[in-house]
Amino acid sequence: MPEFTDLLFYGLAALTLGFGFLTVANPFSRNPVTNAMFLVLTIISMAGLFVLLHAFFLAAIQVLVYAGAVMVLFLFVIMLLDLPEENRRQIKTLTLGLGTIAVAAIAGIFIKAISHAAPLAASDRWLDGETKPLGKILFETYLLPFEILSLLLLVAMVGVILLSKKDLK
Amino acid sequence: MNHSLITTEILVILLGLGVLLADLWIRPESRPALGWLAASLLGCILALSLGALTPHDGSAFGGMYVLDGLARYFKGFFLLAGILVILMTVEFRHRLPVGLSEFFALTLFALAGMLFAASANDFILMFVSLELITVTFFVLNSFQRARLPSLEAGVKYLILGGVASAFMIFGIALIFGSANTTNFSLVAAQQAQLAANPVFLTGLMLVLVGLGFKIAAFPFHLWAPDVYQGSPAPATAFLSVGSKAAGFVLLLRVLFGAVPQITSQWQVLLMVTAAITILYGSLCALPQRNFKRLLGYSSIANAGYLLLGVAAESRTGSSAVLYYLGGYFFTVLAIFTVLCSLSSTIDNDEISALNGLGRRSPFLAAALSIGLVSLAGIPPMVGFFGKFQLLAAVLEAARLAPAFYVLLGVAVVGVVLSLYYYFNVIRAMYWGDAPAGVSLIEVSAPARIALLVCLAGVLYLGIAPGGLLRLADGAVAGLKFSPAHAPSVVTAAH
Repeated sequence: MPEFTDLLFYGLAALTLGFGFLTVANPFSRNPVTNAMFLVLTIISMAGLFVLLHAFFLAAIQVLVYAGAVMVLFLFVIMLLDLPEENRRQIKTLTLGLGTIAVAAIAGIFIKAISHAAPLAASDRWLDGETKPLGKILFETYLLPFEILSLLLLVAMVGVILLSKKDLK
Repeated sequence: MNHSLITTEILVILLGLGVLLADLWIRPESRPALGWLAASLLGCILALSLGALTPHDGSAFGGMYVLDGLARYFKGFFLLAGILVILMTVEFRHRLPVGLSEFFALTLFALAGMLFAASANDFILMFVSLELITVTFFVLNSFQRARLPSLEAGVKYLILGGVASAFMIFGIALIFGSANTTNFSLVAAQQAQLAANPVFLTGLMLVLVGLGFKIAAFPFHLWAPDVYQGSPAPATAFLSVGSKAAGFVLLLRVLFGAVPQITSQWQVLLMVTAAITILYGSLCALPQRNFKRLLGYSSIANAGYLLLGVAAESRTGSSAVLYYLGGYFFTVLAIFTVLCSLSSTIDNDEISALNGLGRRSPFLAAALSIGLVSLAGIPPMVGFFGKFQLLAAVLEAARLAPAFYVLLGVAVVGVVLSLYYYFNVIRAMYWGDAPAGVSLIEVSAPARIALLVCLAGVLYLGIAPGGLLRLADGAVAGLKFSPAHAPSVVTAAH
């Protein structure tokens, strides 16, 4: 008899996958705004998965930052550019066939790996999802990568300005 | 904790920030001088980092960052590459109408990423430093945003780079899930159990996909020709020297630092990848008419030769990889410096545009010929000795596993094919008809310096390879090679 959390996990995982698929390939609508809204739903289902792992802080951040701030920015850009509905593209049979083979191969590797893997022993330690342990991990164990990321963000900012500003001097 | 170990990286980042800020106060016409300044300061950092800055080996940040022989070898390599690329950019400035200082700064930030990659002993640090390199190259590749090929190069690199990063981070998640650590040394300590864990093996394979993208190995090479063709020449040069070497140092660290036992079971995979990469790069280079595209395919073929040394899974093989990268460095930078010098007079990259270069500028033509001859692997250039070392390592491995003889044959076929397409370019320079009414080509002082340094490297290392070879051999001393690879074949040989 599966436990209630297991059922929740499978439900949320199915929702994440379903919404993710609708984000990239929606058979009902070609409007970019619809895709963006499905991305919001994907992110919210993922936040649910984080809650199941007791990573409450990450779940909250996921909703606040990604589903909230980042997606609002996405929608702004989509609406500012006033993108027309994308036309349906004819996909070549060869492309479709090769893509299907590639996806099936990767899926096969995953299914084989997971079915042969011994299930991990139940961890007595919940993932440290509270703010304090998370901060400790970020600023002690992974301090160096965390600081390098700040440089990465600077590079991204400089790059965006260089590539998008109208007339540079 | 020994935080002073990262002094070199911090100095490079500060220099980059300084260049970015200095641009606010200087006049546009003195921007090339900023490049000179940055290059000479990098020279000081290089000189200091060899000794005074970080005199002792060690590790910092909980074993995440290591400074050992391998890291030192590659840090010297990357710093020297940074200096020459900045000099090359000064020479290329006519084609970069805007943002010259930003180009210097971004080059320095990518350099910092490479320096971190050379010392990464943790999957997370590896991923973050590779991302720093990749994201910087998204910008550098599409820098000439008014030119469509440059934008195409940037977009292709962006999409394929994003996919490769996604594979890699997914692999790291699986590795963390099964090993409960991301540290190479801690993974190595429990690799006996991990070798039987299919989830871990899947994760490791996905990480290798990400690294395969960086070194442009088959089947993750698709970006190379288009990106090489479209990007500004200094960015291409840095991509083919720095980014590729960063991929190889991480490949060596993962394969022979974190999981040497599993690597010995995957030898066939490495051999097949090396063979297909060599053949694919060489065969596709044959019909090329565009010189930079030709160099893109040649870089794929060279990734294949380097993979030979990795597949040999021996100390000789790995030190040959380091030596070959050292020689490849001078050779490729010499070729791209010539391209940068030509950029102000010749406005396309077709091979036919080089027609008659031997009469228009004997110096540039001679430099380009020496570079191409070295790439083709003809003595006494460094390219010959590098290939010789790699093939010697393959022969040594063939005593244990006869399949290596096939690999040797493939490598020889690749070398013969490469003679044709490299000499095609030389033929155009000396025996092609120069278009009527063209003048001599002037070579500026920075290009002359960079070229002379590169040519001295190509010739000196080819004639007296001992010093670099000893350095490379010492650098790989810390890597672990599983002694009992291909056990069934060993018993058969006895």
